[in-house]
Amino acid sequence: MIRRRGRWWGAAAVLLVLAAAGCSNRVDIGAAGPAATPAAKTGGRLTVAVVTHGAAGDPFWSIVKNGAVQAGKDLKVRVTYQGSGVPQTQAQFIDAAVNQHVDGLVVSMANPDALKASVERAVHAGIPVITINSGGDKSVQFGAITHVGQDETIAGRAAGKRLADAGVKHAICVVHEAGNIGLTQRCQGAAQGLGGRLDTVQVNVNNLAQAQATLRAKLTADHSIGAVLTLNPAIATAAVAAESGSGSSAKIATFDLSGDVTTAIEQGRIQFAVDQQPYLQGYLPVQMLRLYHDNDNTVGGGQPVLTGPGFVTKANAAKVAELAKRGTR
Amino acid sequence: MSAPAVPDERVAAVSPVRRLLVRPELGALIGAVVVFVFFALLSSTFRSADGVANWLDPASTLGIMAVAVALLMIGGEFDLSAGVLTGTTGLAVTILATRFGLNVWLAVLLSLVLALAVGLANGYVVTRTKLPSFIVTLGMFLVLQGLNLGVTKLLTGNVLVGGLVGRSGFDSAHLVFASSVVLGGTYFKVSIVWWLVLTVLATLVLLRTRFGNWVFAVGGDANAARKVGVPATRTSMALFATTATAAWLVGTITALRNTSAQADAGVGDELTFIVAAVIGGCLLTGGFGSAVGASLGALIFGMTSVGIVYAGWDADWYKLFLGAMLLLAVFANQFVRRYAERRRRS
Amino acid sequence: MSDDTALLEVRGVGKRFGPVIALADVSTTVAAGQVTCVLGDNGAGKSTVISLLSGVHRPDEGEIRLAGVPVDFAGPRDALAAGIATVYQDLALVPLMSVWRNFVLGAEPTRRFGPLRRLDVRAARETTRTELAGMGIDLRDVDQPVGTLSGGERQAVAIARAVYLGARVLILDEPTSALGVKQAGTVLRHIAAARDRGIAVVFVTHNPHHAHPVGDRFLILKRGRSLGDHAKGELSRDDLTRLMAGGAELDDLAAELDRP
Repeated sequence: MIRRRGRWWGAAAVLLVLAAAGCSNRVDIGAAGPAATPAAKTGGRLTVAVVTHGAAGDPFWSIVKNGAVQAGKDLKVRVTYQGSGVPQTQAQFIDAAVNQHVDGLVVSMANPDALKASVERAVHAGIPVITINSGGDKSVQFGAITHVGQDETIAGRAAGKRLADAGVKHAICVVHEAGNIGLTQRCQGAAQGLGGRLDTVQVNVNNLAQAQATLRAKLTADHSIGAVLTLNPAIATAAVAAESGSGSSAKIATFDLSGDVTTAIEQGRIQFAVDQQPYLQGYLPVQMLRLYHDNDNTVGGGQPVLTGPGFVTKANAAKVAELAKRGTR
Repeated sequence: MSAPAVPDERVAAVSPVRRLLVRPELGALIGAVVVFVFFALLSSTFRSADGVANWLDPASTLGIMAVAVALLMIGGEFDLSAGVLTGTTGLAVTILATRFGLNVWLAVLLSLVLALAVGLANGYVVTRTKLPSFIVTLGMFLVLQGLNLGVTKLLTGNVLVGGLVGRSGFDSAHLVFASSVVLGGTYFKVSIVWWLVLTVLATLVLLRTRFGNWVFAVGGDANAARKVGVPATRTSMALFATTATAAWLVGTITALRNTSAQADAGVGDELTFIVAAVIGGCLLTGGFGSAVGASLGALIFGMTSVGIVYAGWDADWYKLFLGAMLLLAVFANQFVRRYAERRRRS
Repeated sequence: MSDDTALLEVRGVGKRFGPVIALADVSTTVAAGQVTCVLGDNGAGKSTVISLLSGVHRPDEGEIRLAGVPVDFAGPRDALAAGIATVYQDLALVPLMSVWRNFVLGAEPTRRFGPLRRLDVRAARETTRTELAGMGIDLRDVDQPVGTLSGGERQAVAIARAVYLGARVLILDEPTSALGVKQAGTVLRHIAAARDRGIAVVFVTHNPHHAHPVGDRFLILKRGRSLGDHAKGELSRDDLTRLMAGGAELDDLAAELDRP
């Protein structure tokens, strides 16, 4: 009886040890030194916590993370990265960072209301905060030193301008999430930049087959459409498929990158992609916090620091594809 | 808390140990102690008052759900719609208060009515059709997920509904559901109080009321229970309503704390509740488990989710850790049940 | 047929399930403090008799009288409320629950009132212990799960529970069938103990050797019909066995199987 029980507890112990070992290996790689090292005043090791609303495994956010981690290596900053799409969990991660007295905090604010209390607590505790990617309009109000991201209206305007330069008079803007304010801003900006006629088409990003059918119907029916501007790489790929065989010769452009989009740009099937350069949204805040700490520098002069729009065209697509393999684009 | 004494007493006195071993929460208690010691050694912040308040917070909202889900599982049923229902109730509070201008308290009350309707619908369909609750509530899960997204967009044109701050009744509702309690200079979220009260309440109901006895009986053998006059259908209905009420509480807490609600909130949490309950000693087959155990399961989740941050690890490891805990718990449960069910030679 | 001492009386009852005649014109009586055995082979109609007495089904013909009054049960709870308790073969015990929780299940003692009303655990444990002892059952630990008990012990707990729940009529469905000789003997003793406490026992079995020692009255069924309803004095054990097996049929079978 006792032997039997011993075996069970033995198995339990082995599992626990395995779990612990799996984790502690990571500690050695990722972070040398104990958790809450008090920072030396100048030039010493800093700890910066990056807390985003990106779920683990999201390709976009893994590039942001790579940027932050690389900046940490380059600048002697210990960077921790946590992400959760659940706002209250994100707030708890911020609270955890504040409790650890980190030297700087980088936060993406998809839902600024939910993070308000935690971000303000960090500011109150004297921790410099930089917001990234989303929530730029609340950044200053919450007490962050600056915001690093892309202004969607400006990015849209640039995309529209590019299409106008290519001779497009009539374009459609494909919105894939109803009510996402950022997407609406992109289309509005594109309309300003284009100067011509821009119609909005509504599709669902979770049903790509349907989206493709909708776009094909649109392109077949109206040959005056000179360009399709999509706001998501998956929809861009659907637009490419929709165009072939529709008799339309509309140019396709998109926001944000994926492997398929880069390949399509190389092949000339997509004209260009508007890139908000996620790597910069990870790298720059860490660098800014280092400068703020060492030299009391602030960047942006009270205005957001824009990481986009950058453009990927046929000219640089091959290079971007190469860089994408390294996880930086 | 006599758990640490187990290995020494095992040989000396068989009977008390046997009794201790068949307690469903034993595995979770050991697990919680191990996890606490583990992270407390790694990080001094983890064991500081601020740190404790930090990890009790995620444990609290999960714990409220895990306790209710544990009762339901002991009663032999599942509720896969419980997670997304926390989103539904939060959205209901936010939309009713901001788009329809209702007093926040009235919105909270109507949201409770909605939750009870969903819970009773689950219970009615399950008890009426005798279909597995797994399937029925999976259907409800999809229905609610669709409604959350569809109705929210229809009414607000957005997936994120904000603007609760400043609505009439917001301040008092926030105080009750989402404020913090200061203890020795540390801010503890009031949801922790809700959690502790509900755990005690659920334990009392389970172990010290007729209804609690019926829950064990219906989950252990519904036919047997029915034959001795236990109102099995009513018991199941009440349990589904309890889960829905817990979802309402968590939804309300979350909405008031975030002062906003997201259309995708709560999706995927339903399995976490079940995992916490199973770590806490609930059998997937029903009839066995404990509310305290489920709370300890939630505590393990909370400590792990925040402890990993304090330890400076990637959050990617969170799931690995929980997976190991779950497997351990299942092994322990299996062992306990065999032990409990082993027939005596007469 | 009418008997003044009969607590439960069955008069010419019949039951059809669609085209199948499950039971036709069956009559017997059960007196308080006596055991009436219902005997029959598989498919003889024993289960139908139980379902009629326990309120699961209603008879299509005939009537059931309890203490001289015709009764018409809407369901098992009705029958239970009238004092007719049934211990099925599956015993209606929950294996993972402790003996005392099982024992009081459905009739839990409580104390205090309103929102403070709660299970009286001390009373429940004590009741379980004394009731079991009263039936001559000594369990070491009423906190152990029922799943850890032996088959005979479980049967005993189920019978004791029915008695405790106030059964005036106790219907036992094949209580000895799955047990070894020794354990079956123990269960027969429990049946006798229940009888001695003034309960009218209906003992349903296919085993005449188990029925004869405790029975005061024997109803023999075959293919839904009564082969006779006899008092103990009218039948020897051999008569009973022969009737059970179908009398002449058994002789034929013996002849057929006889080696040439």
